[in-house]
Amino acid sequence: MKSVLKIALGIIAALGGFLDIGDIVFTTQAGALYRYDLLWAVVLGVVGIAIYAEMCGRVAAVTGRPVFDVIRMRMGFGLGLVALVASTFVNVLTVAAELGGLAIVLQLLFDAEYSLFVVLATVGLVIVVALLPFGGIERVFGYCGLLMLVFIATAIHQGPDWGEVAHGFVPSLSDSKLYLYFVVGVFAAALMPYEVHFYSSGAVEEGWDESNLRENRLNAIVGYALGGILACSLIVVSGFLFHPVGVDPTDLGTAALPAQGAFGETGLLLALGGILFCVGGAAIDSSFAASYNLAQFLGWEWGRYRGPKKAPRFTVSWLVFLALAVMIALSGINPVEITEYSVVLAVVALPLTYFPILMIAGDRSFMREHANGMVSTTLGWLYFAVIVVLALAAIPLLLMTNGGGG
Amino acid sequence: MLALALLLGTSGCGDLSRDELNRGVESLSALAAQGELIASGVARDATKSTYTRVMAKTLGGEAEHEAEKLADAEPSPEVERERDAAVQIAGELADLFSELQTFPGDERHGELVEKQMGKVKEQADAVVERLTGEEA
Amino acid sequence: MRDEGEIFVVHRLLDEQILDSDGKRCGRVDDIELRGSPPRITAVLVGEALYPRRLPKRLRHLARRLAGPERWGANALRVPWEEFDEIGATLRLRRKAEELGLGEGDDPERWMVRRLPWN
Repeated sequence: MKSVLKIALGIIAALGGFLDIGDIVFTTQAGALYRYDLLWAVVLGVVGIAIYAEMCGRVAAVTGRPVFDVIRMRMGFGLGLVALVASTFVNVLTVAAELGGLAIVLQLLFDAEYSLFVVLATVGLVIVVALLPFGGIERVFGYCGLLMLVFIATAIHQGPDWGEVAHGFVPSLSDSKLYLYFVVGVFAAALMPYEVHFYSSGAVEEGWDESNLRENRLNAIVGYALGGILACSLIVVSGFLFHPVGVDPTDLGTAALPAQGAFGETGLLLALGGILFCVGGAAIDSSFAASYNLAQFLGWEWGRYRGPKKAPRFTVSWLVFLALAVMIALSGINPVEITEYSVVLAVVALPLTYFPILMIAGDRSFMREHANGMVSTTLGWLYFAVIVVLALAAIPLLLMTNGGGG
Repeated sequence: MLALALLLGTSGCGDLSRDELNRGVESLSALAAQGELIASGVARDATKSTYTRVMAKTLGGEAEHEAEKLADAEPSPEVERERDAAVQIAGELADLFSELQTFPGDERHGELVEKQMGKVKEQADAVVERLTGEEA
Repeated sequence: MRDEGEIFVVHRLLDEQILDSDGKRCGRVDDIELRGSPPRITAVLVGEALYPRRLPKRLRHLARRLAGPERWGANALRVPWEEFDEIGATLRLRRKAEELGLGEGDDPERWMVRRLPWN
């Protein structure tokens, strides 16, 4: 019974922590521009991250190796360094985007200078990380992220034509470059690598072994599936409210309008609160992912559990990455724009970190009886193909659509 | 080299084509639509004043930016009338958002702004129709 | 051991994480020293100075500038093969990292980590 509760809580935390600023920005814009037509892209991305995360979690549990340990081992120093540099660059950009998002939400709640909130939010996050134990951080942000459920309530309250909504789950392509850009964006926002890298390092930190494999499966499948429903609800509420009147959600605050429309001030506060915790949690996850990856690749001591005394380089690198992210967030670039770049570049770098994991997960000499079975192998390779196609299309589409400007 | 520089220079400082103007007016329509939603929340006392104030400031800034962009540009002669209308609309939008910024909690003001935003949106949509309609 | 087995072991050893007797992570196998005929592993090499050799020729010059000159005992360490205990799932040393000069980057004294607020 106790283990069922533990697994359930893990799934709830995964659900609450699923969304980040990339998801919020891309789903809201996708709904406003294309109403329900991109719901299938969310599903595609959610299945992708479930597959990737399950493999990474399984590899971590069975071999004790997190992602960048696998990468250095399988790709060697040279190619692995490419993966590290790309990954670090994307992660720092992501942290900057999340910090910017945090500052915007705080502005909407308390109306003071954006730059002040960037600094305050960062300091706040450092304090939270310093004071709370590792598992506690995930739980706090995960449970509070459940405030985002107000968007599911909003969708139900709005009462859209569910037949039309269902139609959005049927994949459709168009030769509109802007549409294709959003396919890539919505997919990529769901499949952000930092989340999976953080998850795999977390598994090693928690000392996962083969007894955690079932939990790993459930986290990946149920947790992310529920998170996907949440992401879909963002498209639906945005599509219902914004599409008919042509609202263009280029500001983060716009995402909360549907909840405000449905449930007044309470809805607004729940939505803003939910966004705050999702984005805050994501800032922590992405900054940690950057440090995990660096330390693991170079062979340093690492881990939140080891503490700053035993893993000083890991700790300092985390603070340095945060500082870099703060500088980017304060540079005057709109956080929504930073978000779009971080998401698009993430999918471009994704094949580099996905491929080695796919190989190891199927390698019997490492995984023994836990290597990829028929289903995992097929799905794994299928998604690799999808990821490569999107990775190649991402930058051209970004340039051709002028960053989603149309 | 000089010819190239001149070419780039003139195309930069704004021959406003029909397409560009159209996009500008569409974005004004979008801003008005959002303004209407936000004002509606104020009118029903169903929102938080800090949210209204900050959003109004941001969106008002965007309207002003669009107004400046359109006013600075050189319109091609057949869209000059529409360009002037667009600049006026953008200015009105900026004023309305400024109202919301100043009175973010006042329901009466919210109601007035909501109605006005609706009218401004209709005006913008009419300009879009004139621009795209004339093309056909 | 036959040559093929040796090469396979080298392939698996390279880039592997090194743990000391306390289980502390203290670097990775950045290069391997082979001596004799047939070749035998005589030592494991660890350190930033060894990175340039692992990179393609064009980047080596830049990498050498960044990593600095090879200073054996500082940014390049030679760990004799005898120092290693298990070569199973992990590469474990018989002794502690400090005794071999490994993992000095994580020496808390170096970072004066005591200055940080939560210590």
